[in-house]
Amino acid sequence: MNMVNYFEEAKEIFRYRELLRNLVSRDIKKRYKRSALGFLWVMLDPLLMLLIFYVIFAGLFGSSKGTYTTYVMSGIILWQFFSQGTKIASIAFLQNRNIINKIYLPKAVFPLSIVLSSLVHFIFSLVPLFIIILFSGIKPGFSLFLLPFVVAVVFIFSLGIALTISTLAVFMHDVTYIYDVLLLGWMYLSAIFYPVSILPEKLQVLMSLNPLYHYISLFRGCLYDTSLLTAGHIVSGIFFAVLSFLVGWSIYYRNKDRIIFYL
Amino acid sequence: MIDYVKGKSVEKKTLWALRNISLHVHKGESLGIIGPNGAGKSTLLKVVSGVMKPARGKVHTNGTIAPLIELSAGFDDELTGEENIYLNASILGFSRKDIDERYERIVDFSELSDFIGTPLKNYSSGMVARLAFSVATEANPDILIIDEVLAVGDARFRQKSKERILAFKDRGIAILFVSHDLEQVKEVCNKVLWLDHGAIERYGDTHEIISEYVECQTTVKRTD
Repeated sequence: MNMVNYFEEAKEIFRYRELLRNLVSRDIKKRYKRSALGFLWVMLDPLLMLLIFYVIFAGLFGSSKGTYTTYVMSGIILWQFFSQGTKIASIAFLQNRNIINKIYLPKAVFPLSIVLSSLVHFIFSLVPLFIIILFSGIKPGFSLFLLPFVVAVVFIFSLGIALTISTLAVFMHDVTYIYDVLLLGWMYLSAIFYPVSILPEKLQVLMSLNPLYHYISLFRGCLYDTSLLTAGHIVSGIFFAVLSFLVGWSIYYRNKDRIIFYL
Repeated sequence: MIDYVKGKSVEKKTLWALRNISLHVHKGESLGIIGPNGAGKSTLLKVVSGVMKPARGKVHTNGTIAPLIELSAGFDDELTGEENIYLNASILGFSRKDIDERYERIVDFSELSDFIGTPLKNYSSGMVARLAFSVATEANPDILIIDEVLAVGDARFRQKSKERILAFKDRGIAILFVSHDLEQVKEVCNKVLWLDHGAIERYGDTHEIISEYVECQTTVKRTD
């Protein structure tokens, strides 16, 4: 009975796919229309972040310069896909209260559309990443074909978090601030700009509880280091994605009819 | 057609916004909903259109519902008129094909074809309202829900939108119409529901109820 209802809501979202499309394209238009460099910012943004990390940390962690650049760049790009999407999605219901208050629609389209636009940005930011990879002399192999699978898993994980945070934020606005701080700490714990091997052994074990660590490892595995494509990363990655999605969807589903009273 | 809105109440904190409302609206009927501020008129519309779920009771509707409620809620200032037509129509649940088919008619009715490529922030508020009205009324609904939105645009456009609403009525569409403009209610509706404090005060023939409502309001004023 419950499963049937869950499915009904998903069908309803599918019926509103034109709205999803319009929301995503609006997001992309608005984000880049105003700026002089326009769409170039998709590429410049991670490159500038890379530059900062490079200047500060390359001497510390970079044994060979080319690999370190690729290492950091891939970490940044995957991290941004997750963090930007979920961060903006955390206020998805609050920001669209005008519409939700007036017109019936399946509300999950709002957080979903934000995670989708984050996916689009991620795909564009693969361009500078591949340029860097080619410059550092790495030749991507067949493992590249695993990339869509890894991206799909990260997408599902992000969507689950987005649904959770955006729903909770309606009932308690503090959630968005708490999540911002959490993200900052989470970034430092995700082995974006340092190799995991520098961590003490105990912390390395704890890393296996960090979903983003698995995702970033798998992403790097697809791109240039097949030794990272371990069963452990794959199984944990799928596990966290499924868990996140089930939790997010059920929190959203149980509260979707109450949201309006708190907006 | 709306079959019934039965024994329905909506919970908001501990206050009942609506209680024991039970009524039927059939195909081709248009029901005016009047009453003082805070009587529960808009809440009733929200419950019927599915924005809110009633805490108790049930709403049965047959067919598609088009809401004409605060028309510009789904618009975006930065986008052009054309982009906003697509955005707003998809908020109402239209598919891409539906919108493509209706696009020309929407632009024609709004009389904004010269400005359709301009961002909405450069529109006057009357122009925005015209565009919104044109999108919402192209929905071809079975049930039309109107919340105080006929006072849109200049006098000529107001006349035009009123004619469009009356044409809906002739086509056998059920209409729920909330308004403080009693003259408009008289023109559009054949039945009136008078709400007060979330309950039905009176329900029945338009002219009868409205004259009682007016009388009641003037007595209140006199006792003041």
